[in-house]
Amino acid sequence: MSSDIIERVDRRAFLTIAGSGGIAGLSGCVGFGGGEESSDGGSDGDGPDTIVFGQPGALSGSFDFLQPGVSQAADAAVRHINEAGGLLGAELELVRRDTAVDPQEARTVTTQLVENDDAAAIVGLFSSEINPLWDFLQDLQIPVVTPWPGSTFLDTRGGDKGTPDDVSDDEWVWRTVVGDTVHTGGSAIYALEEGYETLGIINGNTEGERSYVDGFLSVYEENGGTVAEQVEVELGSSSYQSALSRLFNADFDAFLVSMPQESAITALSDWSDGGYGRQPILSDTLAQQAVIDQVGSDLHGAWVASPGRSGPSYDTFEGVYSEEGDAEINGWTPPSWDAVQVTALAIERAGETSPEAIQSNLGPVSRGEGTTVSSFAEGKEALANGEEITYEGAATPVDFTEHGNAFGSVTISTAEEGGFTETTEVPAEDVREYVSEGEY
Amino acid sequence: MGLLQELIFGLVSGSYIAIAAIGFTLIYGIVNMINFAYGEYLTMGAFIGYLAANVLPGPFPVAVVIAMIGGGIVSIVLARGFFSPINHTGPVPMLLTSIGLGIALRNAIRLFGGRSARYFETETLTFRFDAVPDISVGPVDFLGGFFITSEHLIVIGSAMGVFTVVHLLLTRTDVGIAMRAMGDDETLARVRGIDTQLIRDSVWVLAGVLAGLAGVLMAVQTNVSADTGYSHILQILSAAILGGAGSPYGAILGAYVIGLVLAVSTAFLPSSMTGLSSAMAFMILIAVLLVKPSGIAGTEVREA
Repeated sequence: MSSDIIERVDRRAFLTIAGSGGIAGLSGCVGFGGGEESSDGGSDGDGPDTIVFGQPGALSGSFDFLQPGVSQAADAAVRHINEAGGLLGAELELVRRDTAVDPQEARTVTTQLVENDDAAAIVGLFSSEINPLWDFLQDLQIPVVTPWPGSTFLDTRGGDKGTPDDVSDDEWVWRTVVGDTVHTGGSAIYALEEGYETLGIINGNTEGERSYVDGFLSVYEENGGTVAEQVEVELGSSSYQSALSRLFNADFDAFLVSMPQESAITALSDWSDGGYGRQPILSDTLAQQAVIDQVGSDLHGAWVASPGRSGPSYDTFEGVYSEEGDAEINGWTPPSWDAVQVTALAIERAGETSPEAIQSNLGPVSRGEGTTVSSFAEGKEALANGEEITYEGAATPVDFTEHGNAFGSVTISTAEEGGFTETTEVPAEDVREYVSEGEY
Repeated sequence: MGLLQELIFGLVSGSYIAIAAIGFTLIYGIVNMINFAYGEYLTMGAFIGYLAANVLPGPFPVAVVIAMIGGGIVSIVLARGFFSPINHTGPVPMLLTSIGLGIALRNAIRLFGGRSARYFETETLTFRFDAVPDISVGPVDFLGGFFITSEHLIVIGSAMGVFTVVHLLLTRTDVGIAMRAMGDDETLARVRGIDTQLIRDSVWVLAGVLAGLAGVLMAVQTNVSADTGYSHILQILSAAILGGAGSPYGAILGAYVIGLVLAVSTAFLPSSMTGLSSAMAFMILIAVLLVKPSGIAGTEVREA
């Protein structure tokens, strides 16, 4: 009897210790507590030793396959800035935390980055996170300069409203990637030029996927295209055959797929197995080799419109990026470089790291009439010489509109045996015709 | 394509869910706990199968068998480590433990398995039957041309095989009869000389074997990632409850009801509501439970 009790006690003690260890381990995994201690960058006269940028990232979740390129670009930009003498003489540090593209997690992570890590600016966040957290981000009053969001929600939200000296009317989100309105517009223009006048649509039921479709349709339908059938599906299903069966009962020329990669591979594999045929048009996140590899040759000829990768300083970016690692460049990689560069230049011009100072300098360093610079190093030198600067980015010229948006060309890539090949480009001016001034 | 095609899609979806739901409901009926970590059992089965398919020589079925054996071992190890020591505490602490274990396992899999989805290399054949006449009533075609793939046939065939084996196990073997006895009254079973711990262990192993099989089948259709099983746990849970918690036959029935509702609702709901097919399945669940709280099969829900 007593040995039994001892055995139970020992087991209980073991479980208690194991449980405590597990909780401690999990705490480490989810990142309670801050990173390395750093100065807050306040204007205390001596200047900070370290300035921190916070990067909420998709280290897990539906979009994690895009994160390596975005992370590598941000890390390359930080290295470039530090090699150029740092930011206001301080070392720039990037603290990255996982949100899994979950809004609640994003709220927690953003708060941790600001409160625990003393981040001066945030250089991340997706549409699916920003839209539901909009009021929270405005109350937080920290500049969010992000390479991710395409949502049309941001078309008329964000930026300094064209009055950089007056932050009272500002909204604290800027994006260095062109919005869905621009590249879906380019995709719609290309579809109509190719003669696809009737469309079927299958899209996921999250904000990002809906926004992509809305952006596409606003241009497509305005210019004579019609939608024969639209089927919205839940993500993560084991089969999309019923949805495809319904979609392909309708008569159309091409079908648009707007889903995250893993669900899209399942759906497109089902499409291939079912022999449904017709021309696939893919959303920008699907321009990945893995999609072709898994779906197979039936996908050859499918095309994707994605934000252009040919900003004025793309070569500068590519040189530094390739030294940092070998992650695949995707449509959000150059904008990630641009987000860090333009935020750093705003701080350098401001001479301090207060949120208001950064916010009021993002416009002037991006759209001014000053000396054109293609990197932080060039910008720092010009600012030191007392010149005004205009940063020309890797993805786009980064001429922030009054709503904090960037505008650029749209690249059309076609799926082939070895991957997606860039086949043509829709110039920014052509797309601009369909996007009203003040509406983006 | 008509209703017949949708029924085939529903049968396939129901088969995935049914295989897993049998394991889930056996644990509920005999161990008397709702195991929310069961989705991770499927995930681990998928990973084991993927490793076996890529590391070991031999045909794909060998990898499936290894995944099933691995699933059984993982299940009994986890049960011995986390659930058996708290058997006496009742269903609620065990439920909470399973939730915590599920989260820990999912994060551990993500940590060690990496974040990228992996894919089984399989070839799929499609068999088409286009000459079947439409038999239309209003806008609905009851028959019409249809297709079925080799993957569909494997999933449906595997499910039928599992149903047969589980039925024979429960009705023709001493272990299976003892399982049913324990499910009815554990105290009485113990008085009658049944080694209840051995039967519990047998249930854990069987549930793990089924999770391994279901995990591989789901992964073949989708991918191998940390969320492979977790993304289906609600459907599995619903199938078990809909059919009558604790009843393997009820779980099979519940799984096919959910699979068919998912397929048919996607096909026939208005365009603006097609993304709500899962919600329709859960509405059916609620409606059935309101009318018959013990579920379709009528097995009484045990007190929690």
